[in-house]
This record gives sequence, structure tokens and C-alpha cells, in this order.
Amino acid sequence: MTPSEIQLRVNGRPSRIDSVPTDERLLDTLRWRLGLKGTKEGCRTGMCGACTVLRDGRGTLSCLLLTHEADGASITTIEGIGSDPVGRRVLDAFDAAGALQCGYCTPGFVMALTGLLREGGRSTPVDEMLEDLGGNLCRCTGYATIVRAARSAREEGA
Amino acid sequence: MPAFDLVAPGTSDEAIAELRASDPGEVAVVAGGTDLLFDLDDGRITPRKVVSLRRLPWRTLDWNGPTLTVGSTLPLRELENDPELRRRIPGLYAAVRAVGSVALRHQATLGGNLGRSAPASDLVPMLLALDAEVDLVGPKGERRLSVDRFVIGSRRTALAAGELIRSVRIPEARPSAYLLQRVRPFHDISHMAVAVAFSPTDARWRVAVAGFPPRPLRFPEAEEALGGSTPGAADIARAAEALATRAPIVADKRASEEYRRQLVRPLLARAIAATRIGDR
Amino acid sequence: MSASARPDAPAKLSGSVVYGTDLDVPGMFWGALVPAPVARGRLRRIDLGPARALPGVVAISAADVAALVDGRAGDAERPPFPPEQITYLHQPIAAVAAPSPGLARAAARAVRVEVDGLPAVTDLEELFPEWPERAIDDPDHLAAHVRAGRGDVEAVFRTAESVVRETYRTASVHQVALEPHACVADVTDGLWHVRTSTQSPFGAREDASSILGIPESSLVVEGAWVGGGFGGKGAAFLEPYALLLARAAGRPVRLALGYEDEFRLGRTTLPAVLRMETAVTDGEIVGRRVRLLLDVGTSLPGRDFATGYAIGFLLGPYRTPTFEVEGYAVRTNKPPFGPHRAPFAPQAAFVVESHLEEVARRIGADPVAFKARHLWKEGDRTPLGQPVLPFGLPSALEGARATAERWRREAPSGHGVGVAVGFWSTSTGAGGEARVELTPAELRIIQGEREIGSGSVVVGIARVAARRTGLPFERIRVEYRDSARAPFDSGVFGSRTVGALGRATDEAITALLRSLGERLGAPGPAELGIVDGQIYAIHGRTRRSIAELWTPAEEAQGAMAAEGKHYGKGGAIDESLVRDGQFYAFTDFTGAAHVAEVEVDRETGSVRLVRYAAFHDAGVVIDPASARAQVEGGIAMGIGTALTEEAIWADDGRLTNAGLVDYRIPTLPEIPPIEVHFVEGFAGAGPFGAKGLGEPPIIPVPAAVASAVRDAVGAHVTELPLTPERVARELKLL
Repeated sequence: MTPSEIQLRVNGRPSRIDSVPTDERLLDTLRWRLGLKGTKEGCRTGMCGACTVLRDGRGTLSCLLLTHEADGASITTIEGIGSDPVGRRVLDAFDAAGALQCGYCTPGFVMALTGLLREGGRSTPVDEMLEDLGGNLCRCTGYATIVRAARSAREEGA
Repeated sequence: MPAFDLVAPGTSDEAIAELRASDPGEVAVVAGGTDLLFDLDDGRITPRKVVSLRRLPWRTLDWNGPTLTVGSTLPLRELENDPELRRRIPGLYAAVRAVGSVALRHQATLGGNLGRSAPASDLVPMLLALDAEVDLVGPKGERRLSVDRFVIGSRRTALAAGELIRSVRIPEARPSAYLLQRVRPFHDISHMAVAVAFSPTDARWRVAVAGFPPRPLRFPEAEEALGGSTPGAADIARAAEALATRAPIVADKRASEEYRRQLVRPLLARAIAATRIGDR
Repeated sequence: MSASARPDAPAKLSGSVVYGTDLDVPGMFWGALVPAPVARGRLRRIDLGPARALPGVVAISAADVAALVDGRAGDAERPPFPPEQITYLHQPIAAVAAPSPGLARAAARAVRVEVDGLPAVTDLEELFPEWPERAIDDPDHLAAHVRAGRGDVEAVFRTAESVVRETYRTASVHQVALEPHACVADVTDGLWHVRTSTQSPFGAREDASSILGIPESSLVVEGAWVGGGFGGKGAAFLEPYALLLARAAGRPVRLALGYEDEFRLGRTTLPAVLRMETAVTDGEIVGRRVRLLLDVGTSLPGRDFATGYAIGFLLGPYRTPTFEVEGYAVRTNKPPFGPHRAPFAPQAAFVVESHLEEVARRIGADPVAFKARHLWKEGDRTPLGQPVLPFGLPSALEGARATAERWRREAPSGHGVGVAVGFWSTSTGAGGEARVELTPAELRIIQGEREIGSGSVVVGIARVAARRTGLPFERIRVEYRDSARAPFDSGVFGSRTVGALGRATDEAITALLRSLGERLGAPGPAELGIVDGQIYAIHGRTRRSIAELWTPAEEAQGAMAAEGKHYGKGGAIDESLVRDGQFYAFTDFTGAAHVAEVEVDRETGSVRLVRYAAFHDAGVVIDPASARAQVEGGIAMGIGTALTEEAIWADDGRLTNAGLVDYRIPTLPEIPPIEVHFVEGFAGAGPFGAKGLGEPPIIPVPAAVASAVRDAVGAHVTELPLTPERVARELKLL
């Protein structure tokens, strides 16, 4: 039987969620049940990266994850990433570099880059880190300012 | 509009029992979920029950001498991050990195990729060149099948009702390479790919091609043409010619047949050149 | 924390900014559109019963519209739902609203539709196989015919030393804003209200009220933050449906597009075929003939903007004594043609630049020198007789030429370097108004646009204000108001925001400073400055705080206010040269010359960008960081148009690659390092001599990339995009 209650830790706070349909995506749970609209809905097919959140510290496409499958996980969204030291560094780097325009891809980029820096940090060569950001699409910036921000966030982690 | 029941059994026996309790057309399996959710959105499948593998102890990776065994629910990114993989099976490392994005690979699994069995799978051709096998568990116990026998066509495999992929066994680490062609170099679907591996045991090459329907395939004629460990330019040309003219390559919406036949020549030559034999 | 590079960055980085997709009103229903099941056909019957039988569901179709708008008549030519004829696949033929998104989807699926299908028309060349040898006279399929010329082209072509004739094809490309279209509508007490992600709240108001037949005064459009527009969020799109559903449901309704529908319903650049002919004598262009067959989808006759627009770019920024241009806008079973960042200008530049390069090569001339010799200079006249205003493109091309020469010397085998130009005009003819409010602490700009990303609103007009007043940038605050409370503005499009809204802001500030000057007893306008943290009005040695200068009424209001407006005048073309249809005059002349270095794989046809340089005339640059970012972003988008982006329709009218899996926009690792340069000294129509910069960066890109590919491996590709397979064909690999 489908369990009726899901437990998630969202941005450090435990939350119990009742009556989530089995086909609901984590993206929709975050946005429409928990009101965390900072996580963006883009293509819903895992191709744009706008919905990226951290699940147990790893970049995850919340549009391709059933909420029930995340039961017990620790989820971090853009609303909570500032409490993570690496996340704070990434936010500051984006802010200083002006690495955003419309801003719609920005939360996904921040989460993806935070995940990568936590995973590999400076042991990952710069080019590989940039290639690893290829799953996050941006239509405004041409990525130039995002690359500047990513390089600077990586350096500051030294 | 009842959604499906979602169950997450803790043992493989329970999982198999859950599968058996439903009509095969009404039950689906979720591992990473990255393909399943596409199919649900499309309405391609409308299961009444979905069996989640998330609680099964199959997120494993084991090296045993030359043999690598990967649990079917291990996220691909964890396979990619294994420090041994890049050095010992470079072709598989390249193939894993060719799948989706980092975030997708944190979710997607090797078992899921095999279960989906896409014609453009980046993993299946490499697994073919590595003579990989799948270990299945089901109502009748366990069985082992070569990937070649397991994969039939798009969304079609030899998996019987009630069976699950438990792990994938790569019998020996091999010098190998994986090269692909896409319209967009990153984060795209490969419309032509060549996987090669050289077996130190029998000193023979394996060659697999992918990216077109119905499924990735080995091409023994090219393997024979390559001969032993250090194929000369003429051998490579003969192997490429065999692939380009006689492999069952077809067109689809992503590339024409003639373009694919042209591509297979440089991809094969480059893959052979990129394979470093004798490092070990 | 370091200083923010953009004032909207902290909010956007906190996730607190509310985009169209984030709108969430208590009690709202979720809307969904019911798609036409065929691309062409007659709607025989539509049965909403099964949808209405679902709990709480509201469903509407063409038959319900009149009652919902209280019997008013909307624009009969473009009703929200087609009463009978279906003209493209997935065209909305009904709409539903339900208490949950899942139920809304189920309700949309439950609607029963009967149609008599007809064969779809999707391919220009199948429709008119004898074009251009034979003129087209087919009112059923033509939305417009435009033609202009000067002199006896036939005679010039007969006597010229050499004539080059080529055919080009360009693809349909999509805007692909990351945020799908989304809005929430509500109708209460006769007031129609919609919050929406739009590039033009006033444009959406005008459009939606005309479609529905309701007075503009009863419709309020409130802009949400926009997750990218690129032309796709200019006119009303989802708003009329959402408003009708809200009226029918008696409660707020959210309507958003799924990403596949972004592609299937999106109004954008459609395919084109072009015949280019150029006559040369003594190394000089003596005559040109350009003919265009442009797919405009289901655009309406008389409502087609595309062809007159497109055709204006097809002679390029080159002196051409004798010419003829002719374009047909062809109706097909696709959504209507709509604006995509610089509508058709990148495609036109690709064709013009590639063709003139071919002409130069055929006569043994250096392509860049050949182009430079023919380029407009200030004081020249365009082919249609408009005098050329200050124009930095010749200087930009000189910069590009020097860079290209250097890169070509450094380039290894397999690499190639290409140069191309593009031009544009800041659309300040579309007017705007602004109000400014001055308090002792800050200057507020009250206006009606939401920032769409470029920074033209939150940075651009604020910089104009800072520069005019002398106040620090941090003391300027741009405030947004909805369409009922903001001064009118045309919208954020056409590279016009800093130019037109910036001029309106500048006018308002000038009025304010003049008034302050009078209050100081000074002979001219005051300046503003900060003294002890307070804003002061200053003239010479006289300075007084705002609190000392404002009237009791202003003090009660908390601010001194002034208003400004700018309705720019375009230039005029020589109408005697126009034989049919409409051509557009330019307001000012902006342009760019780009240099691309590529590496081409001779065995696969793959093209990799190695590095890129852009030389732009943006008049007086108002904010260097935003200007640079705008150029970088436009180039990346242009790289997509050049190499990978192509919407492909099947014969039955189905878009075969609706979605981001097979419609490929550039990803981060594909974008090369980009140098950005501005040529200065060519003032435009905007404040302080600014010119717009929204469109120009994308325009030369496909042409520059194609030129580089040709330089690298000799492949002269005449079709966009330059996919590996097309390049491989040109390399005779298959």
C-alpha cells in the first residue's frame, strides 16, 4: 500500500506531508504544497535544469522525481541554500558577477553549481566543472557571466 | 483519476511478489524514474501499481579482480565518480558521462537504462563491447543473460514477467573507448556512436554501434577485420568499410542513413586510436 | 556580502521573485486548452458535456464566448476559438478550468471533438514549385505581397559583367524563454483583471480587449516578472482564454502552457526560401534582385507584419543603385508567425552576407573589403531613399577586419575565421511615458514595464536617471505599476526600452529639474546631489534640500512629481519606390560586425566555436556591464540559430521536435570566449544618444559562423542551421 505520509527535511526543517498523490513530482510538492516557488518549473522533461534542487546534497531534477521516492530525504532549495557555506559562496559569486538576467534559470544554476562544488570542489578541473554545468540551460546570458561566477566560486573554495 | 499504488519493498522477494501480484500490463518499476516519468506523462503507460526499487540493497559497486559488478539501482553519477572506472574502463566512463546531465545521472541508473533499452542508449553499446551480462532475479530464481541477449529493441528486453535486473556484470576491465556524434555536442541524443574494447584475455576487439533503430548492436565482421592488438591502417579501413557498407544502419528523424554510414568510419578509427592497450 | 552587480540580483537569488508561473491566488482554478486534433479541417461538433460532468469543471468553446462577454463583439478576424476552420494542429478550440491541474488535464482530454480533416499545407516549395520563375497569384495562401524597386533591373542584369544567382533556405526558430507562458485571470464586478508574464502589459491589454470586445478601461493587466521574452511574450496569447475561463468559473483561473505547447502553439519565426541575384561590373554592385517566400503560418491577410519587416533587411546595409525586392507571405497550417528576437533579421543577414561573400569570391575580391566598399555611411541613402543617420557600422567592420586578420594568422589547419555584419534600428517610434517622484531620500521612476532580463528597466532607465540628475545609482528606484495606474508604455521589445522609455524618463526628470531650478531662483535647471544623506537641489552655489523646496501639497503626497513622454519619429522612405505592400522606415541606424573562429571536423561536419569577437555601435553606452551582457547573450542565441536550432514540421502539420530534447538551444560548454567592443561617436535617438541593443547582438551571428565554416573547409552552406549533416553534405562526404 502506498504510505499516506511522507517525511522530508526541507531546508533543514522536518516536514510531514499528507495525502500526496503517488504521481506527484517533488517540483510540484515544493512549489504548490510547501509554497517554495523559488524552484522553477521549466521543461518538466529534465532537459533545462531550472528545477534543480539538492537531495541529500546532490543536484537533482525535481521535475523527474516522484515525491514519494524522496521520502526521508533532505531537500535544499534556493530558499535555504544561503545557510550552506558553499551555497552562500555561490550566491555571492552570482551576485557579484551579475550572473543572471531574467533569473528564471538562476535557482537551478545555483543549486547545480553548489552540488558540483560540494561533490568535487577544486579537485574537479575547471573545464570539467563547466561541462558539468551543461545540463542547466540559460537563454539570456550566453553563460558568460555564469562562467565568471562559477570560476570565482570555485577559486574562493580554495 | 486514481493515480497508481506505489510500493517500495525492502527485499527482492517482496518486490518480485509485488510484480507477480499484478497483471504485467498494469505494473511498472521505478528505479531512478527519469524514463518512467516521461512515459507516464505521455500516457504511454498507465500502470495501476508502480514498484519502487529504492529500498533494495542494490546501490552497489564491486570490483573483484578484473570484474566489475554494478548494482542496478546505483545512480550513474556514482559509477562515474568511482576512482577506478576512469582508469580501468575508460570507454564506460565516457559512455556514462554522455548520459544526460549531472543531475540526471544522480537519479538515472544502469538498470533503468538497460530496462528502457533505447536505440540511442549511450551505455548499451559500451556494455556490448565489454561482453557485459545482466543478473536477473525473478519468480523462478536467478539467471544471467548477456546484454546482447537481454536487449531486443526500444522498450523491449528479455525480462520476463516478475523479473528484475539486480546487477550488471562486466567480466573484465578492458581498454576501451566510446565516441559519439550529435547535432549538439553536449546534452543531446547520440545519432551515431561507436564503442570499442580490446580484451586482454583473447586479444580480440569488440565493436558495437548505436544511435539508430532498433537497437545497439555488435558487428563481428568489423571485429574480425581489426585482428589483434595493434590493427594497422588497412585493418581499420577494412573494419570501417564493413561497418559503413554492411552494418544494418537506417535513417530516423535525427540523421539520414547515408550520413550515419559516413560517420561510422571516422568514429571507429578514432575510437581505436583512443584505446590505449598495454597500460595495464 | 559584496555589492550586487544588478539591483534585481538579490531578490532573484533568494527565489522570492514572482514570475508568471509562480502566480498563486487562493481559490484559483487551473485552466487547460483543448487542442485541435488536425492541422487543417472543419470543426463539425464539439461536445463539452463529458468535461462538464467532472466535479467542479468549467468548459467553454466558441459558442460560449458571446455570453461571457455580455454579447459584445470581439475582433471577428481572430476569435479566441475558431468557430469552424481549424488552421493548425493543437490550435485551442475549447478551454477548461478545474479545481486541480490533474482534473483540468483530464477535463481537456474528455472533450469530444469531431472534425472533417483536410490535407495540411506545410511546405512552401511544395506549394509553389515554380516560384520564383513564376509569380504567385493565389489569394487563398497569400497573407501579403510586398514589392519595391528602383531602376531597370532587367537591363542592368543583361549588361553586367557578372551575375551571381543563389537560393537560400532558413529554418523556423523558437524563442525558448525558460519560463513558459503563464497568467492568472479574475473577473469581478465587471472588472477584468489578469496578472501575466508579458513584455508589454499595455500591448496585452489592447490586444486582449480587442479580441474579447471589452473596453480597455474594464481590463487591467498587471505584469509579473518575466522569465525571458525574446519577442514571444509581446502580444496577448493566453490572457483572453484565462479571462474567459475566469468569467465562466466565477473565480480566478491560472492558465500556463506546458513546454511542448510552448513549441506547438508558439508564434515565432517560420521557414523561408530566398532567391538572391547580384549583378557586378568593375567590382561594383550595379544591381540586385531579392525574392522571398516567407512562411507566415496562419497570419491573417492585412495583419501580416513579417514580410514588410523581413524584406527591409534583405538588401543589407549596402548601397545598391538598381534593385528589386519582392516578398510573398505564404499562409500554411502552422501557428501565426510572431516576433523572435530581431524577427527574421539574423536569417536575412545570413543570406545577404553569405551571398555577397559568394559574389566577392566569384569576382576575385576580398569579401570584407568588397562589403566595406559598399557599406552605408552617414549621409548615404538607403535603397528605399532614407538618409542614413550616424552609423558606426563602417568603424565596427574595420575593427572586425583587423581582428579577423590577426586570428587568421594564428589559426591552425581546420580552423576558419569569418566576418559578417548586421544592422538594426532602435524602435523608438513605439512611444512611452514615465512619471518621476522625488523625495528627500530617493528618486522613483514610476512606469509600466516589468524587467524581462536584459536589465533595460531595472538598470537602463535608472542609469539614465542617475546620469541626468547626478544622483548615485543607489538613490534611483524603478517602480512598477499595473496598466490602470502606470503611465502608458509600448513594451519591452524592439531594442526600444532605454531609447523610448528612457527618453520619457529623461523628459520627466528634465521637467522636474527645471521646476527645482525655478524654485531655487536659478536661471536654468537644477542638479541633484547628496548632502548629509539628503537629496539637495543644486545650482551653482545655491543648494536647498528637497524638504525645503516642496509645496505643502507635495509634502502631503510625500514626493515631488513630474511626467515625461517620448513618441519618436521614424525616418521616411521614398514611397514612390514601393510598388506593393508595406515597408518600414528606420528610426536610427545601429549595427554590429562580428568575427567567429571555428574548427570544422572534415570527417563529420561538426562545427566548434573557438572564439568570437563583436564590434557594436550602440550609440552612447548607458551601462557598460549590461551592454556587454546583452551582446554575450545575443551571440549565444545566434549560435543556436546558426548551428542547431530548427523546428521541423511533418507533412501532417505535426511539429516533430516540440520540446527541449530535439530542439537544441546552446549549452554552456559550447559557447566560446567572447570579446565585446563598442565603437563610439555615433549618436542615436535614445537619451544621451543611446541606441538600442536588444536585437543587434543576434543578427550577424549565423552569417559570421557560416563565413568561418567556409573559411575553414570551403563549405558554402546555403541553409540554416549549419548542422553537422548539412556541413558534411557540402563537404561532399555524402
